Amino acid sequence: MKKIFFAVCLYLPVFLSGQLVVDTPLSARLTGYDIDVVLEPVSHIVKGDMTAWWVNNSEKPVVDAMMHMYLNAFSSNMSSFAKGGQWSPAGDEGWGWVKIRSIYDYKGNDLSDSMNFQSPDDGNTHDRTVLQILLPEPVLPGDTLRFSINFESKLPSPIDRTGYADDFHFVAQWFPKFGVYETAGMRQREADGWNCHQFHPNSEFYSNHSVYNVSVTMPEEYVAGSGGMLIEEIFPGDSLKKVVWRAEDIVDFAWTAWPEYKSVTRKWRGVDITLLTTDAGLKKADNQFAAVIYALEYLDERVGPYPWPHLTFVDPPMSGAGAGGMEYTTLFTSAGGGLVPSFLKLAEMTTIHEFGHAYFMGILASNEFEEPWIDEGMNSYWEQRIVDHHYGDGYGLIRLPFIKMSDSDQGRLGYITSPSRSISTNDLPSWLYPHGTYGMMSYDKAAAWLHTLEGLIGTETMDKLFREYYRRWAFRHPSGRDFISVVNDVVREEHGDRFGENMDWFFEQVLYGNEICDYRVAGVTSHKIKSYSGVVEGDSVTYTRSDRTSDTLYISRVSIERLGGVSLPAEVLIGFDDGKELLERWDGKESYKDYEYTGATRVIWVKLDPDDKIDIDVDRINNSWSSTQKFYASRRMTDKFVFLMQLMISMFTL
Amino acid sequence: MAVLKILGKGAAAAVSSYKLILLIWVTTMVMVFMVALPLRSFLSNIFGNSMAVTRLSDGFDLGLAGDMGKPFVSLLSAVSMGGLLLLLAGFLLYTFFAGGLFASCASGWGRLKMSTFIRESARNFLPFLKIAVLMMLLIAAYTFFIVGIPIIVTMAISGGSKGSSNFIYLFYAIWALGMPVWLFVADASRRWVAATGSGNVFMALSAGFRALKERFWVSYGIVLVILILNASFVFLSIWFTGWSIPEKGGLIFLFFMATQALFIIKLFMKTWRYASVCALASQKK
Ligand SMILES: [Zn+2]
Repeated sequence: MKKIFFAVCLYLPVFLSGQLVVDTPLSARLTGYDIDVVLEPVSHIVKGDMTAWWVNNSEKPVVDAMMHMYLNAFSSNMSSFAKGGQWSPAGDEGWGWVKIRSIYDYKGNDLSDSMNFQSPDDGNTHDRTVLQILLPEPVLPGDTLRFSINFESKLPSPIDRTGYADDFHFVAQWFPKFGVYETAGMRQREADGWNCHQFHPNSEFYSNHSVYNVSVTMPEEYVAGSGGMLIEEIFPGDSLKKVVWRAEDIVDFAWTAWPEYKSVTRKWRGVDITLLTTDAGLKKADNQFAAVIYALEYLDERVGPYPWPHLTFVDPPMSGAGAGGMEYTTLFTSAGGGLVPSFLKLAEMTTIHEFGHAYFMGILASNEFEEPWIDEGMNSYWEQRIVDHHYGDGYGLIRLPFIKMSDSDQGRLGYITSPSRSISTNDLPSWLYPHGTYGMMSYDKAAAWLHTLEGLIGTETMDKLFREYYRRWAFRHPSGRDFISVVNDVVREEHGDRFGENMDWFFEQVLYGNEICDYRVAGVTSHKIKSYSGVVEGDSVTYTRSDRTSDTLYISRVSIERLGGVSLPAEVLIGFDDGKELLERWDGKESYKDYEYTGATRVIWVKLDPDDKIDIDVDRINNSWSSTQKFYASRRMTDKFVFLMQLMISMFTL
Repeated sequence: MAVLKILGKGAAAAVSSYKLILLIWVTTMVMVFMVALPLRSFLSNIFGNSMAVTRLSDGFDLGLAGDMGKPFVSLLSAVSMGGLLLLLAGFLLYTFFAGGLFASCASGWGRLKMSTFIRESARNFLPFLKIAVLMMLLIAAYTFFIVGIPIIVTMAISGGSKGSSNFIYLFYAIWALGMPVWLFVADASRRWVAATGSGNVFMALSAGFRALKERFWVSYGIVLVILILNASFVFLSIWFTGWSIPEKGGLIFLFFMATQALFIIKLFMKTWRYASVCALASQKK
């Protein structure tokens, strides 16, 4: 990968190749932004100048540029974002927008009349979140396009990911930003072209890894943080301060400013971690740092290194809750730190999830719009592993004396209980999931089948394939197909053809298919073999058994069924009345299977998928059978209920 | 010293009325089982012969809720509705029995025949119900002023987050320290009704307050001691129940016996409070 870096560095402007944050460029750095703005705290306007670069690394001249203008999603109730997410402003002051006041190319050509809004996703002509700029002359291969832009961004209220609430400002998706110019073959694309999607209620990330030099002038009393590294704070007088940040190799730059922030810092293996929180949140700071360090350690070991020396995360106040639970790689927001009781790991889960996006979308910069599963699903899978690993397998999310739940079960629950779980495949673009199934499909189902994949190929192979995925695709733009090809290579290397030629059969079912998976133990029968067994043939009887004195022999038949369309290999553990156990492996191809055992012992229990490897099985209660009903659990539950009710009655009467 | 003496008398009186306590225990158990048994067979039906039920071993695994599907929703509403009904029925039942218990104190503890006990319970029921409702309203208002308002105020000041709020615990403490006052008044008023045979609730309440005023520290002290013991006892009981996971038939039966023994002790502690308040009143005469 180094080779690519050096090749690209040759024609990069000095600005792009400079090093302040990381030792060597991590990415190709095809885009960069130099931004100098002022935050006007009363009008909630951010305005100033920006120089934006884009390098044409294709082999053909490019005649236009495409930019995200995402704050315009808040400039109309008719934008695709506002319609889909039902956002409306909190009064006259609540609208948001981004306006380009002037734009010139490096030759000084005024391009203000060459701009037009596009709606590539849904044709919504009211949507002004994607801007096309027609260039006076094409950008030749290897050339750099440079815009000098004066712009003004009005933040929206209420906050929906970005915006303000009184003097709390969370400034994301706030400046005109390049789309990704994709070359043929990249993400299985047929021809070169821009990939620049509208701002949707459910997706917002797909950009080049860029370099950012950002200066923001704001009132002195504001405490600010960003996805960049703090270079300096300058105090020009008039109770103002100018904060200068630099960020390298991240896909988006967001920042926040609020006079009330409390700032706490810790260090983890050379990474300076800053938490910006509230008074109330301070009490949970230890938990929050623990959570983010768990995630750092876990992903660092199993996926790949976290390469930046800085990381900032925010626990926003209630008024800024709309900014909670978001990811900007080296900056992310948690939620509810000060409010949630400690038996419920919701805040920790959010912290771990949003940090995880530094990998799944930040470093491995997939396209959230077109393949949300590889962003949210993959990240949820890792979040669930981390939460359950650190807070307790089986009770990672909730741990009370009488109630518990693991984080992976929480995710699985969302999928298996959705009545619409099989109305679409899992590979749709974010805005095309029907009937509100986006979250259930992109997060829950995808995470559930990634757990299933782990169950099939083993945790070790799973970790190995993610390390390989990182090795091949870090700081590039992988697609789902690219991920699958890593899976196929690693599984083949580790397991030969145990799973067939490749794993495509798995992804065809769970990702590109919409069927459900449901295995069931239909039942078990055992009967004695009669003392006299045989066939009358002509005048004689052929006995298979005629010895009255011999031991009792049984024939036990175990019947299992596959009720759903998804067929996966499954293990069947069978228990006999002498305590012996037998493990059978079923390929799951037919819709049913019978196992028959003859001997002195009877089958008394059966567990299909005994280790709960198949997370996408929509009903696990029917996965086992026992000759004796396991009454004791319900008896114990009942006894506890009785006693607790007795106590309650006694306590609530005088 | 006075407090300990009265507590001792109260304890003796409570022990001597063990028959009444056992009667209350049996009645409560029958009542609760009327709701619990259908729940149990419902649960057994959902799981049938499945071994997934073992996942309920250390607490209800919410991860199973999805596999249970719609029956889980029915189970949840059955548990919450059943629980509410039980609380309501329990409230009436305990108000009824309190009538008999306070009557015991008038006639000397331990001497009351079962039939008299029931008759006295019935006779005192209405005034006791009124006293209970009034006192509970008073306690609710008290709780709102001492705990509710400070919480609302801190929430408002700290912009909605729970709070710059270590000092909220101060209000919890004040609240808890105030509780013996209300309980003493409720008990003394009911003792007055049982002793005088009058059904006048307001006279009863003013008698209760008067009794409190007459010997405030002793009155307050006895209820406070019992309340502290009671609270620690309940806490330990819940902790025990939560973390006990008996797996076999015999152990489950033992567990059940243990919980019921704990409950009988809980009933004894309540009777102890009643009896101590009565002992204090009779000592005065
Ligand atoms: Zn996410």
